[in-house]
Amino acid sequence: MGVSARGPLLAGLLLAAASAAAGPSEDRFREANDLVRSGDYPRAIAIYGELARAGAESATLYWNWAQAATARGAHGESLWALLRARELDPGDRAVARDVERLREALNLDRAEIAPEPLAVAGRFARRYRLDLVALGLLALSVAAHGAARLRRAPRGGLRVAGATLVLAVAAAAVPLAASFARPTAAVVRRGAPLVDAASPSADATGTLREGEVVPVLEASGDWLRVEDNAGARGWVHQADVRRLDTAPAAQPRD
Amino acid sequence: MRRLRGLIAGALLLAASPGGAGGPGETQSPQDRNAQFTLRSEVDAHKIGVQDPLQLTITVEGSNAPDEIPLPPLVNLEVTAGPFQSSQISIVNGRMSQSRTLSYVLQPRAVGKAEIGAVQAGGQSTAPIAVDVVAGAIRPKEPQRQDPFGRDPLGDPFEDMFGARRRGRSETLRVQMEAQPSRSRLHVGEPLVLTYWLYTQASVADLQFKEAPQYAGFWVEDLEREKVSPSGEAASLEGQSYRRFPILRKLLFPTKAGTLTIPASVFRVGIARTSFFDAGGTIERPTKPVTITVDPLPDAPGFSGAVGHFKATASLDRDTVPLGEAATLRFRVEGTGNLKWVDRAPELLVSGAKVFPPQSKSDLRTTESGVSGSRSWEFVVVPETSGAIEIKPMAFSYFDAGAGKIVSSETAPLTLKVAGGTAAAGLPQAPGLSAAARATGALPLRSELDRHAGWAPGPRLLASLVGLALVLHAGLIGLGMRGGGSYGSAHAASSRSVRAALRELERVSREPMTKEQAAALVEKALDEAMGGIADADDSERAGAIRALLDDVRFVRYAPQLGDYSEKLKDLAARAAEAVRRWA
Repeated sequence: MGVSARGPLLAGLLLAAASAAAGPSEDRFREANDLVRSGDYPRAIAIYGELARAGAESATLYWNWAQAATARGAHGESLWALLRARELDPGDRAVARDVERLREALNLDRAEIAPEPLAVAGRFARRYRLDLVALGLLALSVAAHGAARLRRAPRGGLRVAGATLVLAVAAAAVPLAASFARPTAAVVRRGAPLVDAASPSADATGTLREGEVVPVLEASGDWLRVEDNAGARGWVHQADVRRLDTAPAAQPRD
Repeated sequence: MRRLRGLIAGALLLAASPGGAGGPGETQSPQDRNAQFTLRSEVDAHKIGVQDPLQLTITVEGSNAPDEIPLPPLVNLEVTAGPFQSSQISIVNGRMSQSRTLSYVLQPRAVGKAEIGAVQAGGQSTAPIAVDVVAGAIRPKEPQRQDPFGRDPLGDPFEDMFGARRRGRSETLRVQMEAQPSRSRLHVGEPLVLTYWLYTQASVADLQFKEAPQYAGFWVEDLEREKVSPSGEAASLEGQSYRRFPILRKLLFPTKAGTLTIPASVFRVGIARTSFFDAGGTIERPTKPVTITVDPLPDAPGFSGAVGHFKATASLDRDTVPLGEAATLRFRVEGTGNLKWVDRAPELLVSGAKVFPPQSKSDLRTTESGVSGSRSWEFVVVPETSGAIEIKPMAFSYFDAGAGKIVSSETAPLTLKVAGGTAAAGLPQAPGLSAAARATGALPLRSELDRHAGWAPGPRLLASLVGLALVLHAGLIGLGMRGGGSYGSAHAASSRSVRAALRELERVSREPMTKEQAAALVEKALDEAMGGIADADDSERAGAIRALLDDVRFVRYAPQLGDYSEKLKDLAARAAEAVRRWA
């Protein structure tokens, strides 16, 4: 087989593999949507969760998940799904609009769903792909510098290299700074208790508001140590909150 | 100092003391044979000066005493202080009785007759008390005290002289306190009863906490006092015989596993006087620390931490509901244990219906065996389709300490019939539905599962690549510095240097100067704008500048054989062009 024939063959194999991998996910997604339309929200949400855990996360998946959760009356879960969708696609205007609507329905202040300012920077970086922009500028600056060194650049090649390097560092600084944001989780249960130890027999020290987003300070088994918007720290059961920085790890409690 | 909660607020008096309670104005006590309490009113004097205070004491003894005792009508008297109220449990000749006392301080208004009317309470009444009021003050003045009732009116008259020494008798009295747990080993969430007992061989007049008990690691509930004979019960402690009385009972639930210690509580016990020459006194008696071993609870999915014996039931408020209307499903947990800890209901999933978050209700009471009663959660279920909706059994898990395992109590399955109507007609909208859903009645689902945005470098990779790029730049700079000096010469020339060099070159053409001055100026301008040229640099730029400098130096050091002005102008023009091109 000649070298020229290998390229199309490899591309075809990759496409076939990709379509085979995407097919079941699409089918399951449509099945879940049908369940939502028929009113079987719990099963639909279970399938959405299964897809998310399988790596088929997207703003669309979480958007539909949020609609099903809202229809069930689970507004905290719905807000979490929308926030997760916003994490994946910060430019989705419909998601941003529904986050605002649900926030108001849950009577939450804006600060109560955005406790980490650095997370905003992270969404900005993801929305405008500042990481890739930074990489492109870095490559350009190195190339310009190299060309100037080889005397193949037009006049001002070194200036271009310097300017692109500065821009690249600035662009990279945003996602790098955002990576220092504390992970957060959204409360999905009304009146979720905040207890003083990671134990079912611990004393309750307060309650969390449904939909409230709290920074996650520590994890221990099924418990997360969080800080509420009033500054109170305590443990909350994982069934009562959903993390915003990762896909749902366990089967959602439906 | 804290007083004991409940009924132990005042004195425990032994037999002989009531006899001395009368004063000069003691009134009659009408005794009704059928009554379960007695009522007395007393004054501390029947004849006083108009400037003297008069103390009125109303005492009710026995069970079923009325809660409120009104102030009797007063003639020529007014209340200046009170009422001061105290509750007492008295042990008289080994028998316990309860009493309550209200005291008032009265002041006469004028000389003449005064009267305290009949006290009426609970169907009984006392006789009126007449008091003569004369001019001036006829009662001996007592030393000033902060609390007019702080001193026992029957106090020892020799106390001031011998009081401290005479109190020594109390310290040798056999009075003990004991904190007795109902058990010493249990699981987290299991109840135990902690009873504080008073063991005494003497007359106890008062009992108070000096140091309130601490129950770190326990959830505490108050229990009613154990009902025992008024005379207490015979008991033996450390080889001595006592009468013992339950003072206080607490229901404790350990909240964590391990060895928990309830530290000692110190009681201050007032000893009643037994004779005219006995001052009584106050002694302190601590309980011993109590150590409890608490075993942890097993862990299991869905286990909420309930410990005890419970039964879960579920019911619907109606069997049939029209489509568009709601039914209420009540999930109820009933039993005994740590039911107060259970604050969440199991998830209710009903296919074909919306279920709204539940409201919780409790009907709990504290008993020796734990918190008994029921806790229920009411879910509003709104069917979305007609027909029969099956509600699956709901499970409630709890730890059965007797069996030593987690037990699950399941409710029976329920069926809700949904009659008629068209789906969605009249259905209540959830408050959080999106604008699209509210407008169209349908959920705004997205149909295509888009893929999450492609590859993105993680922060570590991004930081590494930035670092790598900086290293590459540094390497290139290093190479440049070492190889051709291009970073330190022409490339380093600032625009200001270039402009200055061009101005100097213009001066060569414009101003009269010697050829040495002009050549030096051209050479200086080239050096400022272009920097040094490395020997190894064989570029066009380097060659041109070297040739230019050679010409300039030739003119500078050549003998003055003619006019070099044109030559210098030409050199200045060439230098300016080189500067513009390469600097």
